[in-house]
Amino acid sequence: MLIRRFLTAAALAIALPLCAHHACAHEGAGHNGGRIADAGPYHIELVTKGKTVEVTIYDAKEKPVSPAGFKGTAILVVGGKPARVVLTPAAARLTGEAEMALGANPKGVVQITGPDGAAASGKFN
Amino acid sequence: MVPFRLTAAPRALAVALALLVLPFLLNPIDPAQAHEGHDHGAPQAPVSKTIAPRGEASSSAFELVAIPRGDALVLYLDRFATGEPITDATLEVETPSGPARAEAAPDGSYRLPAPWLAKRDPKDDHLDLVVTVTAGSDVDVLPLAVALPKAAEPAEAEHAGEHEGEGWLHALTEHLTERFAARDPGAGLAAAGGFVLGLATMGLMRAGRRAPVLAVLVLAATLVLGATAFAHEGADHSHPESRAAFVPPPTDLAQRLPDGTVFVPKPTQRLLSLRTQVAAEAGYRRTVSLPGRIIPDPNASGVVQSSVGGRLAPPPSGIFPRLGTRVRPGEVLALVTPPVQRVDLSDMRQRQGELDQQIAIVQRRVDRYLKLAPGGAVSQVQLDEAQDELKGLKDRRSALDRIRLEPEVLTAPVGGVIAEAAAVAGQMANPGQMVFQIVDPAKLWVEALSFDALTPAADATARLADGRSLPLAYQGAGLADRNQAIPVQFAIQAGAEGLRVGQFVTVLAATDAEQRGLALPRASVVRTANGQDVVYAHTGAERYEAQAVRVAPLDGTRILVEAGVKPGTRVVVQGAELLDQVR
Repeated sequence: MLIRRFLTAAALAIALPLCAHHACAHEGAGHNGGRIADAGPYHIELVTKGKTVEVTIYDAKEKPVSPAGFKGTAILVVGGKPARVVLTPAAARLTGEAEMALGANPKGVVQITGPDGAAASGKFN
Repeated sequence: MVPFRLTAAPRALAVALALLVLPFLLNPIDPAQAHEGHDHGAPQAPVSKTIAPRGEASSSAFELVAIPRGDALVLYLDRFATGEPITDATLEVETPSGPARAEAAPDGSYRLPAPWLAKRDPKDDHLDLVVTVTAGSDVDVLPLAVALPKAAEPAEAEHAGEHEGEGWLHALTEHLTERFAARDPGAGLAAAGGFVLGLATMGLMRAGRRAPVLAVLVLAATLVLGATAFAHEGADHSHPESRAAFVPPPTDLAQRLPDGTVFVPKPTQRLLSLRTQVAAEAGYRRTVSLPGRIIPDPNASGVVQSSVGGRLAPPPSGIFPRLGTRVRPGEVLALVTPPVQRVDLSDMRQRQGELDQQIAIVQRRVDRYLKLAPGGAVSQVQLDEAQDELKGLKDRRSALDRIRLEPEVLTAPVGGVIAEAAAVAGQMANPGQMVFQIVDPAKLWVEALSFDALTPAADATARLADGRSLPLAYQGAGLADRNQAIPVQFAIQAGAEGLRVGQFVTVLAATDAEQRGLALPRASVVRTANGQDVVYAHTGAERYEAQAVRVAPLDGTRILVEAGVKPGTRVVVQGAELLDQVR
């Protein structure tokens, strides 16, 4: 009986970190219906609507991080041309306006600079 | 203290062994194994101390390497699939001080002035950049994490503090470890000395003598303390950081890393012009290799033979065509004068005499008739007959002279180059003897011996000893066995320059059997010193990894990799031999 309990505990101990790891898998839809990518110590979610670019920052545990103090730049490839969008903090996220409509899922890179000055970037394909 | 009671001697042995093992146990943990937490962006540190910190990024189209050099960033851009350098692209870099453009340098790299490198926080070990690459119609955005060289002062301070806390024991073990790592015989001697001292102590203790034990212990303590002092003195030049002051800065040499991969910096890659190819699996028809040799095309070559036996003489130009002379069809190559036998000569003389005699008689008759014919004494018919007879006799006489003098003219039956010449002036040629052989060097065939029947549609290639390969077109196969094989003829379709008639070639002809695998150029497979075939996979921007493969011959230029390489791997197809020389 003791052995069995011990085995169950061991199985749980092995399985739990694995599950947690899978739950943390970064690719896929985010909380706002956008795409999620890793950027240094953060996870960032990219949502493009028309010309607007919205980037939400999460920490490693998927908890939203206040964008105050953050700066950002999104470089997205639209129709074979790169579009550079400067992102500024607004409410709970970083936003910016592009010069042209960006389409549904433009590929590109979002670079964020934290309050400590360290830059990190996330790639969206 | 211990649950098992040991006798003194084994215990001494155990203590001595433990002392020996201690330095190895205290070996610092490999930093690569330490968990770094949740940080995906940081680039991995270079494995070798002679490689400068750098960063790399790649997409399906491009491969980018950035190296901080002083107050500038040097960028190298290549095509991802082929490894071809791109020197005319536009690189927009998102730097800490706003967007900037990297300028193309004459050596094929790009240079980005980076004054912000000097102003950075010394604690930063990497730098995150975003590079927008525009090359022709290809646009890509690459996030690039560049490792930065460590600032010297803080690191040293940090290390000093660490040593204060851990004390002399750690310093001693580290010192010993390093000396072991450097294969210092002194370290080994020290260990052996400790072992002997331990044995001596135990032996004396068992014998129950206290005073010598104390003496030995004091001796040991003195030695250890001395070594510690020595270690502290030596600590300055045993530290990697402070030692860096004497080591020249990283020079980025191509080298084989401890994990077996080959590091080749971008400038060296360009020097060696390394090119890759993305391996793709497909079905290929198996080929058989046949021994063959080059023969002249039967329709574009010919021999010049004398039909009569006679004396060879040069053509009217005065010289026989030499080997390699290009000739046109119908060109006169030589003259053959048939000899006249002695008996024939007397016969001809006799005949000449008879003819001369008859000509004289008929000539006189014609003269007489010419005088009489106007008077009507001789009819015109008689005169005409006499004149015709005279003409006939003179023709026969001159034909007899001509036969004695006129040689046979040997002409070229086809155009081409003289491949063989056996003509010497004055030589007697037998009837049917070959005097010249003419071959058109642009039209050559290959005759191979095949042990199985080939399908006429099969494509074939011929491989020469120098590695060249020629495309072949099937012409036909014989039915009569020759050495238990049938002769098969192929026409060389291109690249026949420099071939010799009779040269041996290996013909690779496709059969109906199909096999699956990855076709790679022959030059991509390298044989290593242990006789194994390897290909080099391009695993990182500047990393190449040897992968053992099983290969089968495919055709003249390619080989089939049956196992060892996954489809989609970037395999080095040019310069693999040079890459293999990197030590």
